[in-house]
Amino acid sequence: MLSIENTKCECGHQNSVGTVLCESCGKPLDKELAKSEEPLEMRYDGVARRSQKSNPSIIDRIWNFFSSVKIAIYLIVITFVTAMLGTIYPQENTFINLPDPASYYQENYGILGKIYYLLGLSHTYESWWFIGLLVMIGTSLVICSLDRVLPLYRALKKQQIRKHHQFILRQKAVYRDRIEGDSKEWVASYGEALKKKGYKVHFEEGTGTALLAEKNRFSRWGPYINHIGLILFLLAILARSIPGWQMDTYISVPDGDTVQIAGTNYYLKSEKFTVEFYTDDELPDELKGTARAKKYETKAILYECVSNCSDPLKEPVLEEVKKDDITVNHPLTYKGLKLYQFDFDLTPRLNSVKPVLVDKRTGEVYGPFYLPMKEAETQHKLGPFTLDLIANYMEFALNSEGKPTTLSREPNAPAFVFSVKGPGLAEDGEPYIYFPMQKDKVKFAQDTINRELADKIEIRVEGMENVDFSEATTHLNVRMDKALPYLWIGAVFSMVGLIMGSYWQHRRIWLRVDDGELALGAHTNKNWFGMRSDIASALKKIGVSVDPKTLDNGGKNA
Amino acid sequence: MNLVDFSGDAFLVAFFLYCFGFLFYVIAIAGKKWGNREPEEHVRRWSKIAFVVSSAGLAAHLTFFFTRWAGSGQIPTSNMYEFMTFLAMAIMIAYTIVYAMYRKPLLGVFALPLTIIIVAYASVFPSEVQPLIPALESIWLKVHVTTAALGEAFFAVGFAAGLMYLLRVVNFTEKTKSARRQQFWVEFTLGTILVIVGFIIVVFSFRAAGYEATFTQENVTIDSKGQQQTRVETVNYYMPPIVKPYNSQVESYESFLGMDKPLFEAPSWMNGVNAGRKFNTVIWSILSGLVLYGLLRLISRKPLGAVIHPALEGIDPDDLDEISYRAIVIGFPVFTLGALIFAMIWAEKAWGRFWGWDPKEVWALITWLYYSAYLHFRLSRGWQGLRSAWLAVIGFVIVLFTLIGVNLVIAGLHSYSGT
Repeated sequence: MLSIENTKCECGHQNSVGTVLCESCGKPLDKELAKSEEPLEMRYDGVARRSQKSNPSIIDRIWNFFSSVKIAIYLIVITFVTAMLGTIYPQENTFINLPDPASYYQENYGILGKIYYLLGLSHTYESWWFIGLLVMIGTSLVICSLDRVLPLYRALKKQQIRKHHQFILRQKAVYRDRIEGDSKEWVASYGEALKKKGYKVHFEEGTGTALLAEKNRFSRWGPYINHIGLILFLLAILARSIPGWQMDTYISVPDGDTVQIAGTNYYLKSEKFTVEFYTDDELPDELKGTARAKKYETKAILYECVSNCSDPLKEPVLEEVKKDDITVNHPLTYKGLKLYQFDFDLTPRLNSVKPVLVDKRTGEVYGPFYLPMKEAETQHKLGPFTLDLIANYMEFALNSEGKPTTLSREPNAPAFVFSVKGPGLAEDGEPYIYFPMQKDKVKFAQDTINRELADKIEIRVEGMENVDFSEATTHLNVRMDKALPYLWIGAVFSMVGLIMGSYWQHRRIWLRVDDGELALGAHTNKNWFGMRSDIASALKKIGVSVDPKTLDNGGKNA
Repeated sequence: MNLVDFSGDAFLVAFFLYCFGFLFYVIAIAGKKWGNREPEEHVRRWSKIAFVVSSAGLAAHLTFFFTRWAGSGQIPTSNMYEFMTFLAMAIMIAYTIVYAMYRKPLLGVFALPLTIIIVAYASVFPSEVQPLIPALESIWLKVHVTTAALGEAFFAVGFAAGLMYLLRVVNFTEKTKSARRQQFWVEFTLGTILVIVGFIIVVFSFRAAGYEATFTQENVTIDSKGQQQTRVETVNYYMPPIVKPYNSQVESYESFLGMDKPLFEAPSWMNGVNAGRKFNTVIWSILSGLVLYGLLRLISRKPLGAVIHPALEGIDPDDLDEISYRAIVIGFPVFTLGALIFAMIWAEKAWGRFWGWDPKEVWALITWLYYSAYLHFRLSRGWQGLRSAWLAVIGFVIVLFTLIGVNLVIAGLHSYSGT
């Protein structure tokens, strides 16, 4: 434990516990340190950090733990090493749909994949320990900065001009000389030369034989501004877990359809999706013949529901709020909601047909009638015939027992089963299955299923003008992120701080002349090369020629 | 003659000027001890000549860049060839900026070969102008890629100065355990560089000879729905296959030095795109690097580090230490802006998410965290000299992995190319 009397300097200044160099004259306080002749450790000007207390409590101990730069570096190293591990195999979230990740990793990557999954590395970046590490780095950023910036601010606010000889001559850039003639005049002219180099020069009042020249002090605040930016950034990321702040889902909209965006009051209509490919002339040889997409675009309209929104029995009332063409780098944006072009599907999808009913015995044609794939009318009257819709399959298939079933709710292979009544047919109707798509008609042998009824009547579409289909389906990514503005503010702070701290350096020169003996010492937090050449070129202006390299007093260059 | 062809010529000129620049730098430091001359005057004169020649190389390189841009209508940073040539150019720019500050042209002895190797490496990849896929068309992409490369170029200069520091400082006559460890790792670093040189030599030799072998490979994958899918693919090799793709049959095979079938098969867990071929390339590179190293050792009869070490005497190690650190300090904000912030802005514009933990993004973050650890080690823990130089060397290995390794080993959104 440090005792109180150790902290009082011979110059009469009372320093706080943990001070290395007297806050006033700069003399090393520790006896061992005072005896040595090694260059001084000038970090934070040798002031006591907030964490250096004589009787630490629990909170102080936690504070001390996070205030250590060593701990901060360990945290950084652990974070990047674990981040590396997370890139060995694809993360789970790179799959849009992965029902059974455990077996996926084992089957694709063997025993290593299984271990990878069991260790939780398949979702490294969402894991509690990784997020925990980020939170700890954030805490360390806050505490390290506070611990140092306040004492440093105090130390730089009130600096004494005449420093102790030990302080000056144990800097890493030092110059000693004998001055002939008037010391005051020499100091004044050297101060003048430093002013021309952009230094703020303070002469000791009264004597005029000591000076402090300082430049770019603001760069010392760079790292702290950078840290504030990083803290804001981390907070913004954590804020995204607040409900309603972030959304990330996908919707698929066939041409002409209107689809509700789940979890919102918005509906999106895709009027048309178009894709343009590079022609062979535009492609280099090895890519010729491949379909390389040049541009894809969804003509979209965004609607907002204004009434009947949550009543499933009533048709919602929609109001158009925005119309835009969505391309890859151009999302549709509306009040923080963003719709990005994500993918597309060029499989055409049937929407509706207008078939006719042909009486094969007479050659008479009835119709056409409107038959949408979804929500078709249950009864159609065509001349003497009546069609009652009994069943409707979206993707028709026969199950293992030979019974008809549907594989999905998308009209990939639609089929309609009607009960047909009319002249020459059974009183209570005869069943007739109708496949609107030619490929299904052949595949499932429509005429064989319908047996002798197929010889009497036929339902068919005459001409493409009676077919309505969507050529493409667009897949859009729906996103919302309310933390984004804070994130960018954090990034700007961080960048400004980095630039301040990296491209300018805080430089200080102290000098005193006692009986014609000049002692000059200088300190900078970076770029000693520049520091030394500043001293030397100012000396040269007043007629003293020194090689900048000889000013080097050894010691470590931060 | 169109602009793109012209730019190709300018590129060739740049390459030769770099080679001559390097040669003159070698003369500058190796010729000190030649007779009838003032050593300092010799170094001053020849390093000046070398600097002028390599700057002319940079001018030719800039000509290449802008004429190719004008000729193709898109900024040449979109495939591996273009990106690597840009990186090499950025290293020369970073070197010139550092030179302007410190007036130490001798740094060129290490910065130039680095540039030359990267230029040669770039030439391995197809140099045709390729049209962009829509996701890559954005002003932010251009800004992101160029700024990130410039930041990385400063890290490269930091690496060059760090390696130079190690070669200057590590004592190659000492026999203590720690000295031996240092010697080994310096030698290892030089060996690794030779492996990259070996790779380039092997690629161009077999390409000049027109070597080709073909395999058909059966690929079994299990998709996300649990369905097993089998695809049969043809795999072309342009180097004699020492190792064949996993689960494959030979289609055609030109015998090479009496080797008429692959010696073994790639293990199944190597499952990237063309993993077998890449593995084969790696084997060839290591072999040729080792042969190269062996030849150099035979000629010099001592470790390569011990050969270079005396030539660097007279260079102040503290200057090298400071230059290495300064280059990294200058590069760090540029890298932060280019590789993280601009990348996030672009990702936000293109995919609507500023960060997606894509492997390339993660590795950019790893690089950033690594260099911030470096800065904290140096500023707060006083890691300087040897330790700092080693950190600068390892850092650049991480940069290279982020740029090249991720694309070759890990697939992701950025996977544009690979040999």
